[in-house]
Amino acid sequence: MAQKKTVKDTAKKTTVTADTTTTPVLPKKSYIKNTFDGNYIIDNQTVMVPIKGTFEFDIQHRFGTVDNGLRDLFGIFANATMKLGFSYTPINNLQVGFDATNEKMEVDFNLKWAILKQTKDGSMPVSITYFGNAMANTQANSVALIYVTTGDRFAYFNQIIIARKFTDKLSLQISPSYSHFNDLQGYLNAAGNPMPIFNNDNFSISASGKYQISEGMALIANYDQPLTQNPADNPHPNLSFGIEMRTSGHDFEIFIGNYSSLMPENNAFFNQNNYRKGQFLVGFDIARLWNF
Amino acid sequence: MKRKLILVGSVLSVCIMSFAFTIIQQPKPWPAPEKDAKTPNPVKSNAESISAGKALWSLHCASCHGKKGLGDGSKAAQLKTTPQDMTLASFQTQSDGSIYYKINAGRDDMPSFKKKIPDAEDVWNLVNYVRTFKK
Repeated sequence: MAQKKTVKDTAKKTTVTADTTTTPVLPKKSYIKNTFDGNYIIDNQTVMVPIKGTFEFDIQHRFGTVDNGLRDLFGIFANATMKLGFSYTPINNLQVGFDATNEKMEVDFNLKWAILKQTKDGSMPVSITYFGNAMANTQANSVALIYVTTGDRFAYFNQIIIARKFTDKLSLQISPSYSHFNDLQGYLNAAGNPMPIFNNDNFSISASGKYQISEGMALIANYDQPLTQNPADNPHPNLSFGIEMRTSGHDFEIFIGNYSSLMPENNAFFNQNNYRKGQFLVGFDIARLWNF
Repeated sequence: MKRKLILVGSVLSVCIMSFAFTIIQQPKPWPAPEKDAKTPNPVKSNAESISAGKALWSLHCASCHGKKGLGDGSKAAQLKTTPQDMTLASFQTQSDGSIYYKINAGRDDMPSFKKKIPDAEDVWNLVNYVRTFKK
């Protein structure tokens, strides 16, 4: 730790070599760590942005609903929605990512930015992060699917995530979001006029929480409430809960919930699984992390 | 006479085997550079620091070094190098700076945590937690 420092003297400037036993100086402002364990809490993004140089590979599954019982082993052998995700944190507090899902062959580019971070001294009581994506449906046009322009294929999701780590065990976050689809399905009324089913814009709000039950294991839960009312087919809220296990290089979550999509704007617009009718499904998120 | 020879031979064999294993089990010396070893710990060892260190230990270290630093973690058997028993004086007599250096630098099976634990304060918290293993 040989450091050179200049000592100002009234007579002259001298350069001295610091003693090797100099106590290291730590930054004055210290941030709260591990508000959540990873990027995801079930269907939502957490407030966390990984440390600079982290590359993350995500594998996510949502199975069918449990309604059919043993016929499809409670949805495990029904059609599943899958997503592969890749993200990287090139600079402090900023992550960029790419995802691809089998649902409508959708892909997205996303960005996550930690705007403010909760401090240990309480001067900043919460952490605030922005998450957004641009998603495209890459299916080929067909009789049932007609996109006139490339722009029609796009949808967007924007979310502000506000979180606080209350104790070493308990963290909570609330995240309002705004989604927009450029082009949505409609119908022809009796007069033959095209009518919308959905509004192109949707506001939703989510609440998520984590409670650490042991070192490396936590209970996790989400509640997502779409706020925008549509002319028809209003989306249902999502209630989900599960467990999360974390190691140095992995984050694993297994849970049940109502959201079957793996793109957040799809869930906000189209979820028709109703928790009041018991339409739950099993899902898991696996993340593998490398540090470069 | 034959019995005595077999007995003596067996005892000698056991001694030789024990000695051989003793040699294998001896950890390779790992001295920290003097300037690192002499670096004082700037983080006071209090409940907050030890709690933060414990969380890091559970996440990054326990799978090899064991929950209590005995070197008996679930991955320990797969390693080429047997993790050291951190409760022993042979480990605990080294300076805080030396432990800090080894966490950052890594060697052989022990990875460098410089990128996974980039904040110096966190590494010192970990050092403070490792001190709690001392018997």
